[in-house]
Amino acid sequence: MKHTRKNFFEKKPVYLVVLFMLFIALIFSLLLAVTIGSTSIPLADVYQVVFYKLFHVGDPSFGSGKIHDVVWFIRLPRLILAAAVGMSLSICGVVMQAVVKNPLAEPYVLGISFGASLGATLSIMLGIGTMFGPNYVGVMACLGAFLISIGVVALSNIGGRSTSVKLLLSGMALSSLCGAFSSFIVYFSNDQDGMKTVSYWMMGSLSGASWENNLIVVPLAIAGVIFFWTQYRTLNLMLLGDEAAVTLGTNLYPWRQTYLLVSSLMIGFVVYSSGVIGFVGLVIPHVVRMLFGTDHKKLIPLSALVGSIFLIWADVLCRVIIPGMELPIGVLTSMIGAPCFIYLMARKKYGFGGKE
Amino acid sequence: MQITTEQIKAVLGNAQILNGIDFQAKDNQFVGIIGPNGSGKSTLLKCIYRVLAPTEGVVYLDGKPLSEHKVRESAQKIAVVAQHNYYNFEFSVREVVMMGRAPHKKALDRDNAEDYRIVREALKTVGMSEFEDRSFSTLSGGEQQRIILARALAQQTPCLILDEPTNHLDIKYQLWLMDIVKELSCTVVSAVHDLNIAAMYCDYLYAMKDGRVVAQGTPKELLTPKLIRTLYDVDSKISIDEDGMMHIFYYPSSLAKKEVLS
Repeated sequence: MKHTRKNFFEKKPVYLVVLFMLFIALIFSLLLAVTIGSTSIPLADVYQVVFYKLFHVGDPSFGSGKIHDVVWFIRLPRLILAAAVGMSLSICGVVMQAVVKNPLAEPYVLGISFGASLGATLSIMLGIGTMFGPNYVGVMACLGAFLISIGVVALSNIGGRSTSVKLLLSGMALSSLCGAFSSFIVYFSNDQDGMKTVSYWMMGSLSGASWENNLIVVPLAIAGVIFFWTQYRTLNLMLLGDEAAVTLGTNLYPWRQTYLLVSSLMIGFVVYSSGVIGFVGLVIPHVVRMLFGTDHKKLIPLSALVGSIFLIWADVLCRVIIPGMELPIGVLTSMIGAPCFIYLMARKKYGFGGKE
Repeated sequence: MQITTEQIKAVLGNAQILNGIDFQAKDNQFVGIIGPNGSGKSTLLKCIYRVLAPTEGVVYLDGKPLSEHKVRESAQKIAVVAQHNYYNFEFSVREVVMMGRAPHKKALDRDNAEDYRIVREALKTVGMSEFEDRSFSTLSGGEQQRIILARALAQQTPCLILDEPTNHLDIKYQLWLMDIVKELSCTVVSAVHDLNIAAMYCDYLYAMKDGRVVAQGTPKELLTPKLIRTLYDVDSKISIDEDGMMHIFYYPSSLAKKEVLS
């Protein structure tokens, strides 16, 4: 066959090169961001600690002490967590947008954030779930998020099979319900400290990062990305709708439920480790889609990398933007995310909910 | 491939849409279904391409009941070009056509060189090769319909179902699309609005009204002013030209009486 025009394989390397470059950028972001913080530590010392801990080479005096603690127990786990959380949020955003077939969806659209906040409120205000140990608030938030998504799936299946519209509506209904209950509890408990803790939870923060938590969140994020990457064909078909998907050999119904449960598990652990961080899951998939198109084969890995790089730097910004104070990361991502979103919406070229 | 339906009934809401349809499309036959809006043409096709489940009756693909096929297996046998194809998300033309390969793929299979070759071939067949990298949503309705046909071709199925596919197309492309389909060596089942097109391309016709098959036969046997009157409530005249082609003329009710009188 003549190759007079663009061959498909000529386009493929572009995306693979971008993928590779983003991966390098992620590594560099981690290496660079670890040197930035409120305590000023000489560059050389930071890397000595990292190298000593990772490869056991260099001066053993960097294996302990104040500098070691700051770098190894505070900064690095926090950065790794930021990367994993950014990855999970943007992947789940991509998946939710496909599952409900709506480009306005995000990980929290199906009531997950309100479920989490209800869980957190119950534990903070009423002390429910203290048997889960020291981080019982996180566990309760995670449980709340997970139970709500199961509730949404169940509700959308009442009176006939679940469709993307029914999922969206069930999500909105249960969100309002959880929100109302949270407000009810907050209003009547009249507990100033508790209120502050709840709102802190809702604004999101990565300051609770620890290696123990990362041991769950990071593998889950990576496993999630790999799982959804293998599912790119079904995700593509989801955007065509149920009818077209059946004629192309896939019944979407079981997959929708599966993807929802997998992503609410991922999001549950994200909420557990860092509270509710908004807009990342909405904006990152959109930006990637504008540059590289909707094909999930590319969208999934690219969003994962862009999301983690974005959150690493957002967290750095939170720590340095106001000297001596830390901005909740959820506030920052919404401040950056919402205007981006408005810009995207105002652009005529990008289709939102229909043809222009 | 052969498609047979046995006493298909379908209910949507409270309405009985199909009232026991026996239908057959033989190997490599081009079968057309005609009938007024709401006669159940689309519903019958949807029962065959599995978007609707009939409330009673069985659809057989090559003698095996449809329900015993996995969704993937039926998609390997039947490809569909439907009326509306409209997406909120931006896909490139290539990506849309590549979705036609989905039924031949397992979860972990990658798109290989053969898939890309098939996609290219399909785009060439519908004359849209230069549109490969364009965004699907920027195409006109007619162009989109051709891409959807390319997707169906990439499915490489022994049967093609056209659910009023020429709705968005101008005359040139209506004929052109039917020409392409006619040349495929596969069973074709198509709902057709335009009786002249039905007469030109179909080997066999089913005429439907109110969820029943009211008549069937070859176009020449079936298409008569009387049947057209029964189906559409329209007066018509049929002539056959020197090349043996059927031409159907309609008379709007305002003119019909005058014409008949004069």
